[in-house]
Amino acid sequence: MKRYAGIAPQRDLLLLKRLGERLKGRSFLHINSTRAGGGVAEILQRMMPILQELGIDARWEVIEGDERFFDITKKIHNALQGNPEEITEEMWNYHFEVNRRNAERLNLDADAVLIHDPQPAPLVEFRKRGKWIWRCHIDVSKPRKEVCDYLMRYCRKYDSAIFSVSKFAKTMGIPEFIIPPSIDPLSDKNRDMSESAIRETLDKLGIPADRPMLLQVSRFDRFKDPIGVIKAYRMVKKYNDCILVLAGSPATDDPEGEEVLKEVQEYAADDPDIRILLLPLFSDRDINALQRAATVVLQKSLKEGFGLTVSEAMWKGKPVIGGAIGGIPLQIVHGVTGFLVHSSEGTAFRIRQFLNNPEMARRMGEKGREHVRGNFLITRQIRDYLTVWYCLENKGTLIEL
Amino acid sequence: MEEIRPFEFKECVSIIKSTGKSAKSLRGLRDMIASVSGDSIFHHTYQYFLKGHALEYTNDFAHWAGESLEERALCERLSNIDPYDFKEIDDLRSELLRVIDEYIENFPEPREAVEGDEFYFNEPVTLVFPVGTRARNLAEFLTAAKYIDQGSFYFHFYEARVRLGGGVDDFSKWFEDALGRKKLAEKIRAIDPFMHSVEGIREHMVKAVEEEVRTDMESGL
Repeated sequence: MKRYAGIAPQRDLLLLKRLGERLKGRSFLHINSTRAGGGVAEILQRMMPILQELGIDARWEVIEGDERFFDITKKIHNALQGNPEEITEEMWNYHFEVNRRNAERLNLDADAVLIHDPQPAPLVEFRKRGKWIWRCHIDVSKPRKEVCDYLMRYCRKYDSAIFSVSKFAKTMGIPEFIIPPSIDPLSDKNRDMSESAIRETLDKLGIPADRPMLLQVSRFDRFKDPIGVIKAYRMVKKYNDCILVLAGSPATDDPEGEEVLKEVQEYAADDPDIRILLLPLFSDRDINALQRAATVVLQKSLKEGFGLTVSEAMWKGKPVIGGAIGGIPLQIVHGVTGFLVHSSEGTAFRIRQFLNNPEMARRMGEKGREHVRGNFLITRQIRDYLTVWYCLENKGTLIEL
Repeated sequence: MEEIRPFEFKECVSIIKSTGKSAKSLRGLRDMIASVSGDSIFHHTYQYFLKGHALEYTNDFAHWAGESLEERALCERLSNIDPYDFKEIDDLRSELLRVIDEYIENFPEPREAVEGDEFYFNEPVTLVFPVGTRARNLAEFLTAAKYIDQGSFYFHFYEARVRLGGGVDDFSKWFEDALGRKKLAEKIRAIDPFMHSVEGIREHMVKAVEEEVRTDMESGL
């Protein structure tokens, strides 16, 4: 915790300390569906030692499933984000069955249990005691109704739900909190790096440092619109010489990734200035270096739970351009901490503005960093999770600690 | 000699709870403002000051009217409502409704927000906790006031006005009740909370207290 002093806002550290004093020795179980890959696993990895340092008996468990299970949950995930997908009764039964098997294997006994995303949602049927909270990290603003309704059968059995953005909340009949996710400023992905370390990484990855670099870091997922990013880059390229780097790691719970990667590679095929990097898991230092080396960072998603790569780039003082969807508008205050866009054309225009106005890019980058410091650091998120737990046990809208 | 009651700096942090209610049009917003909880109205108006005045509006309703409905005149009128003018949340609610009704009467069909850009009504759950700093006299207070977190300033200056009523905040109350400095208290109460960011309030207050300390030193107190 001491390492966050001077980095995270003092109020967050103080409240964490106070909440830690009250929740000391009590158990807090987190369950999700992957140990690596994607923002949820990343933040859980960083959160556990902090919770433990506060004296909380924090555990992180991962549900196990076969290829069929993850195919189904990917379809559920896509349908919740609005894609037309058919989830048959048999598929739902299998979803439940895998969760039942996991419930037998996992120790679900805890004072508070935080279940992340739809994959392990049915575990609530096997709850023992404590407060159960369902944490939805994905954009469920326009879900396929029948899929959402089915999932809600489980979610309504929780004591509370957490969404990243107000517009994702549902009318579930249980308290629904709005808590944005966060980044860890001290993780390998976000901590300071020397110029020589950055250069070394670029050399290793074969990225030239002689021209401005546009960067999008994300899974190879159609919702992240990598094709739209290439289109924008091609429009910019007519006016400004630059390179485009699309970097992502595979996630064990995303079977579609490979297919999308192929599509992107085919679309980019003939251009040596488009670098598509499939980085191995745990390439955090490489991603850190790429973000620090980038001239402009993009997150041109079409659907997004939150889009933490935006905060990562802002924390590094980079000018950012993001799709005006999901949690991105919470991070990018349009015209202040970056630009929000709705099309490849808009993206191209804003990239050109940044490339031609380095002073504006620097100014927005600085504001972005402060915005992240105040709102999107891990200390704030842990503070909020503990607050929800505390609020569920101590009713009221004004609570004195 | 009676011991002076020290000023204990506290801080508040709010997390947001969804009410499950939203509005797509101005009429929808109006009907929801009429029926949502006082806590929700409080969050979307008074707590706007926690956002540090980064934007050009003074409450979430004005912000939405300007950005999502693109009704500029309405947004100016809503922005001009000073929540600290009202003793009760319901009085503020009535004023919001009056301004919106008047606007609807003149412009009966304002545009709707595009899908996904609706207004979502939330409520806060607030935790209040001591920051571990106490001031026993003006000099100690001055040092603390320069460095305490913005959330602490918000709690003692903005939130206190709603809690204590009558345009009184925790700082001026302590200056008057514990230190017997009525003039300083009046100076602090004269700072318009509606016209400043939290940092602006801090600047004004530090200046007023510094002047008081300097006067004390010069008069040999």
